[in-house]
Amino acid sequence: MSKRSLILLLFAIPILVAGGFYLRALVRRAFFQSAPKPEGAMQAQLRQQALQSESSVKEAVALYFPNFDTGALDQEARVMALAPNNEDRIRQIVLALIEGPAQGHARALPASTALRAVFITPSGDAYLDFSSDVTQNFPVGIASETLAIYSVVDSLTANVPAVKRVRFLVQGQETDTLDGHADLTGFYTSNLPPPAATPLNP
Amino acid sequence: MPAETANDTIYLPLLPVLNLNGQVSGLQEKRNELQVWFGGSHLRLRRNQSKIRIDRRTVDLSQPALQSNGQWLVPVSFLTLVIPSLAGQNVLYQAGTHRAFIGNIHPVSFTVRLESQPSGAKLVVQFTGKIGIQTASTNGTWVILLSGPPVVPMERVIRFHNPYLKELRFDDQDGRPKLVLKPAEGDLNFYSQLTQGQQILVADIMKPAPPMSAKALPGQQTTAAVPPASKPGAAAPPSSTVALAPAQAAPPLPVIVLDAGHGGPDSGARSRDGILEKNLTANMAQKVAAALQAAGKCRVVMTRIGDSDPSFEQRSVTANTNRPVAFVSFHAGELGDRSPVIAVYTYQPPSPAPASESGSPLFVPWDWAQEHEQAPSQQLAQIFEQRFSQITGIILPPLTQAPVRELRSINAPAVAVEVGTLSPVQDAGVIAQDSFEQQVAKATAAALEQFLGAPALP
Repeated sequence: MSKRSLILLLFAIPILVAGGFYLRALVRRAFFQSAPKPEGAMQAQLRQQALQSESSVKEAVALYFPNFDTGALDQEARVMALAPNNEDRIRQIVLALIEGPAQGHARALPASTALRAVFITPSGDAYLDFSSDVTQNFPVGIASETLAIYSVVDSLTANVPAVKRVRFLVQGQETDTLDGHADLTGFYTSNLPPPAATPLNP
Repeated sequence: MPAETANDTIYLPLLPVLNLNGQVSGLQEKRNELQVWFGGSHLRLRRNQSKIRIDRRTVDLSQPALQSNGQWLVPVSFLTLVIPSLAGQNVLYQAGTHRAFIGNIHPVSFTVRLESQPSGAKLVVQFTGKIGIQTASTNGTWVILLSGPPVVPMERVIRFHNPYLKELRFDDQDGRPKLVLKPAEGDLNFYSQLTQGQQILVADIMKPAPPMSAKALPGQQTTAAVPPASKPGAAAPPSSTVALAPAQAAPPLPVIVLDAGHGGPDSGARSRDGILEKNLTANMAQKVAAALQAAGKCRVVMTRIGDSDPSFEQRSVTANTNRPVAFVSFHAGELGDRSPVIAVYTYQPPSPAPASESGSPLFVPWDWAQEHEQAPSQQLAQIFEQRFSQITGIILPPLTQAPVRELRSINAPAVAVEVGTLSPVQDAGVIAQDSFEQQVAKATAAALEQFLGAPALP
């Protein structure tokens, strides 16, 4: 082996070794590391975590869903393990509404809606910050928007006694209407008469 | 801009239109096809075809492009469908004048007020922007020619029960926007002037004064003129003027405000077959207005003209400044699987008004104005329900209260009417049919006329 070949070999060996390590890392990254979860899956996971409270005590919960035939809300009874903390309870109730009805009622909020933040003041003013999905894939109209709003307001005031009034935000901002009809510039209080549906059976 | 009419459609020359909005950098013409390079875009038109290819997308002009005397012509819809995306500018085409307004366009509208004076009447026309005027007189009418930005009236004809002025009409049929005033009798003087930064037109309409004052002929252009009778030392008005004292004038016609929901980029609800709420509401409001105007018992004011998108506040301002006896807001939306449905709503605030904010009947906060109209609004809604129940085949849910944003600041009896179902999961069906709109309009007009004659609530 000539001196020149020996020098070339000395340079080539470290390069080949380094290249091998780099190739190995690439293969590992491509085949063995899990792909990042899509946003929908992440949301579902968060939702699931929120719905599964640490509390083992299960409570009867009244959720309200729209009924377009009567123009009113229908009560749907559920049994849920609600969190002791008010903000977590609010989150659980709203996420259950987003999950949708189980007894054939109409949906109150689009399934893609995310509840970005919840805040409640000592005087009982609850602020709910929804993602902009709340106005997308939404059945637009005076009736549908009014029923959607009161679905949330009535479900919260019925199940979280600390909540007296509800204020809706979208993407962290105050907004004029839900989707062009129902006023969102102020606080909502529950206005419905006692529901006509069957009493709760926990 | 030169325009031609073909097949009842107004056509504009393509290349001058493009050059008004930028620069044409290249042309290639084959027998039936024209290719144009404009800015960074490439257009391809075919003769007698309505579809235009712009880069990789296709725009349907609904009317075909034509070739006439070697010139390529495009329908007027080219201005609104193609130019905004091509040149990044808004374009408004005024059909009467064949004028195209390019850029950040703010059409001017106006409101009208007629005040009784001791010996005449004062007409105040408030424009929403600066305007130029020129007065003239033809066939016993006074004509105020308007110049400047495009003028879009909120109502085209206003009739007065006044001993001096019978009618004010907006007319742009011959291409020149103008106000045409019809005096109640001949031999009246007319003095007009623009004030407040060319935004307010004040016109005095008076009986001619005795010989001492200079007599102005109807239509004589008199800027900043002082009515002769008000000059110091002017003679007292003749006895005939006293006979026409305002105390004896008939009361003005009541005003009804019709509000077509949504408009412009806000289409509102949409059906599976592409029917838009903003178009349905505009159709209904127009048909109700036509029915009411034909009856002649009231003035009709629209909050939205054409495909504009006034804000909630602008709609409330239009309504409240006209002091209407009733306000109706039209909507279409999701009302369940059944159709056709007509729902009538009165306003319900999201939460009860605090005593400090609801105010006394004398001072009413703007945001709580409708709170003080609950009883007459309920009465109006009941009349609507009764009239709608006479339409065969419709579903009429019970009267409902809802936090309808458009009703919140209306200082008059107000209802919202929603037809349905207009939902993305089903076709619009019967609610988009002209016969259904006519039925709803007829019932609405009848309800409003009944309300006009109904005894007022205490």
